[in-house]
Amino acid sequence: MSEMSVSVSATVHPGSQPLPEAPAKVTARNLNFYYGEHHALKNINLALGTNRVTAFIGPSGCGKSTLLRIFNRMYDLYPGQRATGQLLLDHTNILDPKLDLNLLRARVGMVFQKPTPFPMTIYENIAFGIRLYEKISKPEMDDRVEKALRGGALWNEVKDKLNASGLSLSGGQQQRLCIARTVAVRPEVILFDEPCSALDPISTAKVEELIQELSENYTIAIVTHNMQQAARVSDKTAFMYLGELIEFDDTSKIFTSPSDRRTQDYITGRFG
Amino acid sequence: MAVQSDVIDDAGPYDRAKALSAFKLGDVTFYWITRLSAISVLLILGGIIISLIVGAFPAMKEYGISFLWTQRWAPSADPPVLGALGPMYGTLVTSFIAMLIAIPVGLGIAIFLTELCPQWLRRPIGIAVELLAGIPSIIYGMWGFFVLGPFLANTFQPFMIRVFDGVPVLGAIFAGPPSYLSLFNAALILAIMVLPFITSISVDVFKTVPPVLKEAAYGVGCTTWEVVRSVVIPYTRVGIIGGVMLALGRALGETMAVTFIIGNSFRISSSIFAPGTTISAAIASEFAESDGLHQSGLILLGLLLFVLTFFVLAAARLMLMRLETKAGK
Repeated sequence: MSEMSVSVSATVHPGSQPLPEAPAKVTARNLNFYYGEHHALKNINLALGTNRVTAFIGPSGCGKSTLLRIFNRMYDLYPGQRATGQLLLDHTNILDPKLDLNLLRARVGMVFQKPTPFPMTIYENIAFGIRLYEKISKPEMDDRVEKALRGGALWNEVKDKLNASGLSLSGGQQQRLCIARTVAVRPEVILFDEPCSALDPISTAKVEELIQELSENYTIAIVTHNMQQAARVSDKTAFMYLGELIEFDDTSKIFTSPSDRRTQDYITGRFG
Repeated sequence: MAVQSDVIDDAGPYDRAKALSAFKLGDVTFYWITRLSAISVLLILGGIIISLIVGAFPAMKEYGISFLWTQRWAPSADPPVLGALGPMYGTLVTSFIAMLIAIPVGLGIAIFLTELCPQWLRRPIGIAVELLAGIPSIIYGMWGFFVLGPFLANTFQPFMIRVFDGVPVLGAIFAGPPSYLSLFNAALILAIMVLPFITSISVDVFKTVPPVLKEAAYGVGCTTWEVVRSVVIPYTRVGIIGGVMLALGRALGETMAVTFIIGNSFRISSSIFAPGTTISAAIASEFAESDGLHQSGLILLGLLLFVLTFFVLAAARLMLMRLETKAGK
């Protein structure tokens, strides 16, 4: 055992009981994904528990982000990419070609690796998403924007400069703005694609705290390269390798007594 | 520093200071070559302005400021009566109509090419746009003269007259006897000529939008239209305006095609289907046979075009600055 695994397992509070099984929000059955000819995901079977945080870990190129991008059909923007199998959001078939993608993406929000504020003011960044679905009055909108920014733990920092450009914020603030923007649309699932990889440690801590808070009301999937982060924020962890789901279990179990040799090697830093 | 360089000198197997001084000579040469290149721009610009002013001076002295609002252009009268109002009006109106048509169409093509077009259609359309830019302007002129002119006079104008007859302002804009040679014909040709500028620059700047930013917009549930309107265009605003200004500069100064089809009439008419002239068309069609005051007047027209273009560019810069403050940058 290397030092790595010791420090990791130390952060999963020893003796803490995993939360009880939650009903599935997103269910994948025999999910396969292809970039043209390349078979990127092979027979994925898993379920994201409602109002739970599920972390996806694994070496670069293992298909974590690819899997995330199926959940909101982001791959649809690019020709030549396709998914087969079954993927359900509650009882809706996500892979249905006739599905209204805009509606799906309102239900399944996404936060990206790099902060992506839109080229408009802070206020507009939030109001923009809301306006896509709802026609509400100015005071109501002000209220919703404030709520969303509070939800993104950003309100106190920006309440005096709502009309400044979203691009004028620091990297960490921009990322929280993007989270607030995602929350503002009132999704059911939020996907985080390495949300902290461009952030400093303090911003990272804030975002992690935020993810924990959000998990009370949202189903969350997070891809991360940082194993401590996975251990800190998630209830369940999925380890992926070369397009396959190797192991999927309670986070405490994955980080203390993984049942697969490859999981063990990865979390102890022997490869990856 | 001295101590350090001594250490380096001692340590090096060869004379490092000497090697460095060779580089330094290269640096100085390089500096002067680039500096002279930059200065030459100022010299050329200044030289052109000065020679224009010198050439235009007799006309300026003769007509003064009223040159700007005199419509009559009678170079063979004695003394010649010259006024710039007709050509200035023609230049501004043709360019305005051309931009009115070319901006939406050019942006539309660019949006289609970058956001919506299936892969296999992308290359053919892209190449067609580039070829459009490669067509010599005299060919546009001939096409406008033989094809577009007759169509406008025989089909399009009667139709517009029928539709807008009796409507207060629009009726006057489309009224008048049919003519192959008209402001509108020239404006259409200009629109086609500047289209490739707007399209290719817009395509280039649209490609600079990070895919993840677009994904984020799609990710909150935007349609393609909403992504383009709220993310792609605001993000690339500066580049688009740059392209439009380049196109406008070309439209204001375009000579050959316009001279061919505008009719070279100095009289201002309310109808866009009437013949007119532009500054560059007037100069091109009269300069060879002009002398004395007439020639000086034409040079003064050229100076005016120069100033006009300068103001348009300055206005564009100002607009850009306003937009940036508004966006809170």
